[in-house]
Amino acid sequence: MFTTERSTRSLQGPLLPLRRLSALAAVVAALSAPLGATAQTDAYAEVNRLVRAGQLNDALAKADQYLAGKPKDPQMRFLKGVIQTEGGKTADAIATFAKLTEDYPELPEPYNNLAVLYAGQSQFDKARAALEMAIRTNPSYATAHENLGDVYAKLASQAYSKALQLDANNTGAAPKLSLIRNLFAGGKSAVAPVAAPAEVAKAPSAAAPVTSAPAAPPAEPAKTAAAPAAAGNDAVEAAVQAWAKAWSSKDMKGYLGAYAPNFTPAGGQSRAAWESERRARIVPRNRIDVDIDDLKVSVDGNRAVARFSQAYRSDAVNVTSRKTLDMVRQGDRWLIVRESTGS
Amino acid sequence: MPSPRHFQRGHASFPTAFDEPRPFKRSHLLVALALVLGVAAGAAHWWSTMHREAMVTTAIDLGSEAPVGTAIRSGLIDAAYARVQPSSTVPTDGLSRAPLTDDLLHEVKPLLGQAEARLIGIYQHIRQAEHRQALQAAEALVRDHPNFQLAQLVLGDLLTLQTRPVRTLGDVPDTSALAAADQLKALREESRRRLAALTERPPAGHLPRQFLSLAPQSRHAIAIDASRSRLYLFENLTPANTSEERAPDLRLIADYYISVGLQGIEKQVEGDKRTPLGVYYITSTLDPDKLPDLYGVGALPINYPNALDLQRGKTGSGIWLHGTPSNQFVRAPQASDGCVVLSNQDLSRILRTVQIRTTPVVIAERLEWVSPDGLDADRKDFAQALESWRQARSAGDEASLRALYSDRFRQSGKDLEQVWPRLAAELRNPRPIELKDTSLLKWRDTEETMVVTFGEVAAGQSRGVTRRQYWARENGQWKIFFEGNT
Repeated sequence: MFTTERSTRSLQGPLLPLRRLSALAAVVAALSAPLGATAQTDAYAEVNRLVRAGQLNDALAKADQYLAGKPKDPQMRFLKGVIQTEGGKTADAIATFAKLTEDYPELPEPYNNLAVLYAGQSQFDKARAALEMAIRTNPSYATAHENLGDVYAKLASQAYSKALQLDANNTGAAPKLSLIRNLFAGGKSAVAPVAAPAEVAKAPSAAAPVTSAPAAPPAEPAKTAAAPAAAGNDAVEAAVQAWAKAWSSKDMKGYLGAYAPNFTPAGGQSRAAWESERRARIVPRNRIDVDIDDLKVSVDGNRAVARFSQAYRSDAVNVTSRKTLDMVRQGDRWLIVRESTGS
Repeated sequence: MPSPRHFQRGHASFPTAFDEPRPFKRSHLLVALALVLGVAAGAAHWWSTMHREAMVTTAIDLGSEAPVGTAIRSGLIDAAYARVQPSSTVPTDGLSRAPLTDDLLHEVKPLLGQAEARLIGIYQHIRQAEHRQALQAAEALVRDHPNFQLAQLVLGDLLTLQTRPVRTLGDVPDTSALAAADQLKALREESRRRLAALTERPPAGHLPRQFLSLAPQSRHAIAIDASRSRLYLFENLTPANTSEERAPDLRLIADYYISVGLQGIEKQVEGDKRTPLGVYYITSTLDPDKLPDLYGVGALPINYPNALDLQRGKTGSGIWLHGTPSNQFVRAPQASDGCVVLSNQDLSRILRTVQIRTTPVVIAERLEWVSPDGLDADRKDFAQALESWRQARSAGDEASLRALYSDRFRQSGKDLEQVWPRLAAELRNPRPIELKDTSLLKWRDTEETMVVTFGEVAAGQSRGVTRRQYWARENGQWKIFFEGNT
């Protein structure tokens, strides 16, 4: 009778009866790790098995080991957050889930678990905000709705206590909210976690759009100004490097200038919305490094395609992904008209 | 009958924080509305009935769409609005009972204290089933005024509404309702009175019937209706140099919630925790820096006990209009030691506005509102008496003058026999006098009293003295029982 937390993406799905943290063991046991035979799913299964066995330290070590190789992997990071939560390392768990919400803002589950941890600390306003984000991300997310109901009840009780001048400490223990234990527990095949984190990230969020790259990794453009006038591969390569450099140095003018006026943001965003999102993602970082590797350029007249491996590192994120930039020549500059990740 | 809470729980467990309210939710809102606004009708019996039922949790099944779906729901809407209709009892207070419309709210809101206007705005959202906005507004209000207990109560209801139906204003858990029954009752009463103040309005241009006339020097006037927990602040627009006595031209500029004594009104003796009823004047203003926190941002003492109170042997002192302590935004309708208590915000406005010594303060159990014309009879009835006094004094006619003074005259502990030689002495060199800038405040309880303030100016002089007299009607004749300078 235990549904796993998993998807919860279908409106019709039954409300999860299993809402209490204390039921962890049961939940984990119920998780049958029905995944394919890939190394990744094996790793998840192993970590889950260790958690199930109560070997949290081993589970954490295993997760860390895996993450050393795939530091962005959202599923394993999520599991790590669950392990930290179970192990009582609340601050660590909060940090883990908070970073996940930063890197994958379209995933409701990290918000939910963040809320669980905040509620455990009686920070109900924060818990509520996190749950509302989870629901905004996925309006049919039943667990978050249920948890939010509990948080509302708690907030109501606090307000009533203030209204009636009752001792607020006397209004009962903090509600125990349901922790989500796996990101993509079901066999959402298409979404095979690993490989391209950016892809994984967007897969879960409902029917949503295209490639809107989450926090860090995604695609980013380059600056034209720096691009020399020449034609041919060298000029395109120079434009790509200039773009990466502008991005790294948070030179927003150069960075946004690397995109052609007719650049089409992924996900159907408007240019203005895209630019402001990029600003919001880039400007606040203390440090950004974007390295271009394995750059292959093909030029066809005034059009060019640049394919490369992009190593992105920022304060909290370190991810390498494949990237393709479609470019056109305008005057003496090569400008980006399309940016895609993962190919 | 199944417990409604139980029944509804199943429906309510899936809050739709970001969705449009679902139908059942809307009906819950209407229940809340009925409970919040229904009490505005002045239908006190309905309130008490409701209250009782809610307490025993047989709580009217309004919220559940149980068996009857839409039929019940539309009936519910009707019921909700019926409750904000004017009550059918014939009022004697001269207030107009109007249903709560947006126009009315628009008109009244500028008069209200800021926090109360925001609270009413929240009720408006509830009424329009805009529960998201209501919740946000309530959160903002308690953020600004964390000690505004009624706002906290409403916030609690709005948060509760996210998870289950709300049966009554302050639908607190039963344990809390038991633990703080008095508090809860007081907050509900506060809400009821605040709402009643919206639907039971003084008609435009009408004024409390105590204000027979008001000299232009009294630039403001205050009237307090204890039964409604309201203070009305007026600006006196009566033009200067009005030769004829006439009704004052009062403009209502503020309408505030207030608290009175813990034991209510009709103060008799010191320590009875009651607020006096009568016609008073503000006598001074007290420096808040020298006051305990209890009094908030300041205090305006009034002249209790006045001459009438002393005649009646009333005791006690230190009746003030004052603010609230830092840990309380407002106090319950009956909460003070006899003072009139306002929120600090509202009191600040009064402190900024009124003048000491010339601002009358009428405190009534129920104010009676009349049109200016409605005061003519009372004024004429008294005018002859005052004119007789003026003539006797102008002519030095001691016998006629003496006839206007009551046997129960008292002034500073002296009776008429003791005071008369001095009064008679003032007649030795009679000169015609004029009375200028007359204020007439009439107080009616078991007897009729007139508090008269005027400038007495001898012919040929440009300045004179300001006198205050208290007159009472004795066997049909107006007689002076106190006389002094202000």
